[in-house]
Amino acid sequence: MRYAIGIDIGSTCTKTAVLNEAFEPVLLFVQPTGWSSVDTAGAVRARLSQEGFDPRRYPCVATGYGRVAVPFADRTITEITCHARGAMLLHNSADLTVIDIGGQDTKIIRVQGGRANDFIMNDKCSAGTGRFLEVMANTMALRPDELCELAATGGGVSISSMCTVFAESEVISLIGRGESRENIAFAVVDSIVKKVASQAGRLEPDAGCVCLTGGLCECDYIRRALGAALRTTIVASPQGRYAGALGAACYALQTPKKEDPS
Amino acid sequence: MSNYVEMWKDLGMDLDTHDQLCQVLPTAFGDVYLSQENRPEGMGFWDFVVSEIHGIRPSELIEAQKKGQKVFGTFCVYVPDEVVIAANGIVTGLCGGSQFWVPGGEKVLPKSTCPLIKASVGARLDRTCPFFRIADMYVGETTCDGKKKAWEILGKDVPMYIMDVPQMKREKDIQKWAEEIAAFAKEVEKFTGNEITVEKLNEAIRTINEKRQAMARVFAATKGSNLPISGKDRLLMTQIAFFDDPSRCAQMCNKLADELEQRNRDGVSVFPAGTKRILLTGTPLAIPNWKLHHIIETSGAAVVCEEMCTGTRYFENLVDETQTTLEGQFRALSERYMKNNCACFTPNTGRIDDILRLAKEYQVDGVIDVNLKFCCLYDTEGYTVEKALKEAGIPVLGIETDYTDTDAEQLRTRIGAFIELLK
Amino acid sequence: MDDRVQELNYYILFDNYTQGLALQELLRTEGLPSRIAPTLRSIQGELSCGMSLLVSQTHIDAVRACIARHRAAHHSIVEMPCQIKPGRNKFC
Repeated sequence: MRYAIGIDIGSTCTKTAVLNEAFEPVLLFVQPTGWSSVDTAGAVRARLSQEGFDPRRYPCVATGYGRVAVPFADRTITEITCHARGAMLLHNSADLTVIDIGGQDTKIIRVQGGRANDFIMNDKCSAGTGRFLEVMANTMALRPDELCELAATGGGVSISSMCTVFAESEVISLIGRGESRENIAFAVVDSIVKKVASQAGRLEPDAGCVCLTGGLCECDYIRRALGAALRTTIVASPQGRYAGALGAACYALQTPKKEDPS
Repeated sequence: MSNYVEMWKDLGMDLDTHDQLCQVLPTAFGDVYLSQENRPEGMGFWDFVVSEIHGIRPSELIEAQKKGQKVFGTFCVYVPDEVVIAANGIVTGLCGGSQFWVPGGEKVLPKSTCPLIKASVGARLDRTCPFFRIADMYVGETTCDGKKKAWEILGKDVPMYIMDVPQMKREKDIQKWAEEIAAFAKEVEKFTGNEITVEKLNEAIRTINEKRQAMARVFAATKGSNLPISGKDRLLMTQIAFFDDPSRCAQMCNKLADELEQRNRDGVSVFPAGTKRILLTGTPLAIPNWKLHHIIETSGAAVVCEEMCTGTRYFENLVDETQTTLEGQFRALSERYMKNNCACFTPNTGRIDDILRLAKEYQVDGVIDVNLKFCCLYDTEGYTVEKALKEAGIPVLGIETDYTDTDAEQLRTRIGAFIELLK
Repeated sequence: MDDRVQELNYYILFDNYTQGLALQELLRTEGLPSRIAPTLRSIQGELSCGMSLLVSQTHIDAVRACIARHRAAHHSIVEMPCQIKPGRNKFC
């Protein structure tokens, strides 16, 4: 049996996917990226070998911002291309708009006829990213998924600052004012949704299905709120956070294994 | 002699601060330029100029001043070099392309000013640019709000002359620009003490036209499928053209073009066949701003043309050489300069036509539209540019950046993904 | 990450660019490749911002021999591990 490995080293988490020849995932795992992408790549390699998918034997494609730090990768491809490919696999569709809310950036990718043909990515600012949610959750002594859940039952409050640092002080003053946690959580998610929706508006998402990938796709409330803001139904896969890694593994299936120099 | 420390001292420069730039420039130049293989031999001239960047040309300018010539520092491709040269003056570009100078500018300008203006003002006020120290007069123009206000800060102890660039392109605007050129000529005559005659102005027009044609030849060399020169190298040639003697510039560009045309005949390329071809459009890239070219050309694509002030806007269109009166010459100059399509004009449909034409002429696979952060004019026009390109079926990526290194990895991802999606 | 043997580069330094250009011309006539490079500040010493000639490890012996044969004027030759790193992301 042939297998192929995709590794997505993101700013927060590293996702690994192994596909068989039939493009079926046979192994998926996630771990924190931590300080060093190089160390993380080493840990991924050890785990893969332990599971019987030695990257010296199977082709491997690395993606994500730490993609250059994977010494055993046969090829690197940007996360935009990989997310598009992974979303096509997850949603079994060749025409879709992919919204990926990642740790440090948010990408909106349009896929038509089986290939990515346009994308938008946020600039250096962390507004509308997973980091924004994480910082606010921290301030409120919550886990990010708890914050999302609470947000579904809140309302009536908003945060005006897009800047994470300023928004954090807004949250602190809301806490000080005695605002309920649900309402503050709502305001945090609402801020992300508005920012992402305004980015998506620049891309004219006319392609068939709209899907949400990346770590935040596990939060059902964000998916629904974003759908409402964009006046469309957004779908998410339980494996959505692995979209980049799965896409990389798809490309790895087409990549010949490099000769091992060692 | 290449010991320029004495000269810099005489110019009243801040040597310690300037030395910080001398420390980073050779390393950056090595990473960006000397990492390339099989460069045209003709690039040796520009490598040489960079290695003596704040020495060799400044010392020539100082020698010329000793012989009574006046040096005019300019900021914009709308200021007609011909007028200065006709009065035996010299035109030079000024510093403004490095993050090194930005903090100096931010001491007096709002942070939300474009890096080009912040760097220029910083280089001037911090006394770290020999060209600013040497220039006898600065010539500004009114091509954006940031510059208009910056002139008021710059022109303290050096005469500052400002040309009023029209904002529209109606007949009366072309006439107005001809009048501005005539008024500038009067000022230049007064300042240099030399009369501008029809003969001298025609000679100057021919000199600058020759320089434009020589640069156009270098650009034309990358229109075909063979790429004899990298975008980076061409950019360096363009950047230094703003500082060099125009006749020497023409001579060196023609020499380079000869070599490139021979390389095209021999099929010598600096990129593998099938490398994606990129047209860069937007705001200028002043020396030593090589960031975007470097990222693009180390991500599997080649920059084949720049629709920029440091690109086609600098040399396209020639001035009519047949005029026999000063009035006719000023009008001819105005007509040529007003063909330039800067985002400061409204409407500016000519620029869209230019971009679509260049995309075709240079057979590009995609366009990257660059905006220097806080340049409101090009940023806003980016919408129209992207829309027109998409309608024409040409992939386009909009990028906003400044002179800092901090966004390099994000740019690599964005530009890398864009190149991946080009068919 | 790069585990190849560190490549060495040689920078020929000069008192002035006239020397530098003359030597480059001499090397060219002898068929020896050299490239003009801005002198790295770390090896420049008291020489000011100027040109150097960059010669690869492959050619340095022949270049040294050529210099000796013609007693070509130069200041010194400095050996350096290759400083050219296109992925460094340090611009100026």
